[in-house]
Amino acid sequence: MNVHNAWLVFKKDWLEIKRNRQVLMPIIIVPLIFSVMFPIIIGIVGNIPDANVGNNQDFNELIPNLPMDIQNMLADMPPNFSIVYIMSVYMFAPIFLIIPIMASSVIGSDSFAGERERKTIEALLATPISDSELLLGKVLVCFLPAMAVTFAAYGVYMLMIDVMTFGMFGMLLLPNITWLIIMFGVTPVIALCGIGLTIMVSSKVKGFKEAQQISIVLVLPVIGLMLAQILGLIFLGPLMLIILIGIFATIDIAIYYLSIKMFQREEILAKQ
Amino acid sequence: MIETVNLSRKYGQLTAVDDVTFKIGKGEVFGFLGPNGAGKTTTIRMLACLISPTHGTATVAGYNIQKNPIQVRQSVGILTENPSLYENLTAYENMDFFAQAYGIADPADRQKRIQELLEFFNLWDRRNDKAGTFSKGMKQKLAIIRATVHKPSVLFLDEPTAGLDPESAKEIRDLMAQLSKHEKCTILLSTHHLEDAEKLCNRVLLMNKGRCLLIGKPDELREQIVTHPIIQIDLTQITNKILQALNNSSHVQEINTKPQETSLMISVKDIRMATPEIVKTIVEADGQILGVNTFRASLEDAYLKLIKGETETQ
Repeated sequence: MNVHNAWLVFKKDWLEIKRNRQVLMPIIIVPLIFSVMFPIIIGIVGNIPDANVGNNQDFNELIPNLPMDIQNMLADMPPNFSIVYIMSVYMFAPIFLIIPIMASSVIGSDSFAGERERKTIEALLATPISDSELLLGKVLVCFLPAMAVTFAAYGVYMLMIDVMTFGMFGMLLLPNITWLIIMFGVTPVIALCGIGLTIMVSSKVKGFKEAQQISIVLVLPVIGLMLAQILGLIFLGPLMLIILIGIFATIDIAIYYLSIKMFQREEILAKQ
Repeated sequence: MIETVNLSRKYGQLTAVDDVTFKIGKGEVFGFLGPNGAGKTTTIRMLACLISPTHGTATVAGYNIQKNPIQVRQSVGILTENPSLYENLTAYENMDFFAQAYGIADPADRQKRIQELLEFFNLWDRRNDKAGTFSKGMKQKLAIIRATVHKPSVLFLDEPTAGLDPESAKEIRDLMAQLSKHEKCTILLSTHHLEDAEKLCNRVLLMNKGRCLLIGKPDELREQIVTHPIIQIDLTQITNKILQALNNSSHVQEINTKPQETSLMISVKDIRMATPEIVKTIVEADGQILGVNTFRASLEDAYLKLIKGETETQ
């Protein structure tokens, strides 16, 4: 495989994406809302002195799953501080995993289905770029921007949280080990999983919107993870996150081989 | 340069291309003629390794289309039915992408080739404009530049002059002639413009319903399919003496007169030999000639006759 060819496909697609507001806007706006809105919510909650963690059913389910030292620390805190701590450090962490899936779904849906819709696919498939180079190029153009916006969102969120909570706790809450594992471990494998599936869908359906509608379903497992944590069914601590990384990495490898096997230039053309 | 053997393609029960066999030599301009749905585009797509044949095989530029698809794609340029341009990229960015995709690694070489082609079509000044802002004709020219940017040894052109103004169509014909003559590029031209085929093609293939009907030089096909050429002679008056003299001439195949007119439509075998002899015969029969015109059947006449004949037989 000639990586230069894959990089060439990436550069061409990225140039197109940069100039296409329909694709660019959702992948900027959603992370921006997440990274700014969540700290504001936390800031508001933190300023309500009589907020009581004991009255919140969701937090009651979550707290017993936290490590013992964290539980002890929370027990010594005023109620509103406990809520700020739990929300900042645990509650919103899995929500951020929606960003790479959403971004890759928007870009990935546009990959083959978008080219087909704009009738550019035949000339691209007629080039000597091989199937694997073409696929890798399309994966890169989803992966790199998706990771870039996700990391930017993490950065803005962590900065705002630390600025707002340093006065309360006298220390920087983020990043902690959980967030570091989510950022550098879970985010890339989940993004790759979403990208692989989205590109597979994109090469099988006729249009960009059809591909996007199908691939957005991928957000559901992430929402499931978040709810499971809030309901106390699981706790996304380091061990659980490492298990998740292993599961998603295995799925990624399977999707990669399946994508190459299922990639049929002829079928992509026939959908025109 | 291109050789197909029993090339066939089926889509379910429909046979789009049926046992097509032909050879095209280096530097030859080969015309693909036939009505819509004849199988021309499907044949080109198989030869460009975009789809695979269900039966038969082909070699393009020395490579087998089934065994060496990447090498085939490397050696050919293709102009598809749609210009297939990235509308958010500039003309130059489009061409630069395809030049790199076809393996022109050196930026200086790419720039030189792209500039040469854009200047040929008077598009160099528009190089930094997005392709989406170009007119249909300009997009078609860009698509031809894309197909030829890597100096392919084989070029597939599907309706290259469709929807173009006469000047642009001529520029494209000139480029094809230049590529064939100077760069020894083999061109497979699929067209409905029989005038293009007649002017440019060394040989043509007539296709209908997936089958190859005839292959040959445009002149040969015309003569093979259509009746003899015609000489029209305008006279001051048509007399029995003139008609009798012409009937006795060995060059004359058939004589028709136009009603209410003093013109003779004389069908002959060999127009070059017959014309002076017939003029001489009429003058010797005291005829006063006002004008002489000769008519050769066009490739279009041949094409229409053959396709009509095919439809009637079925």
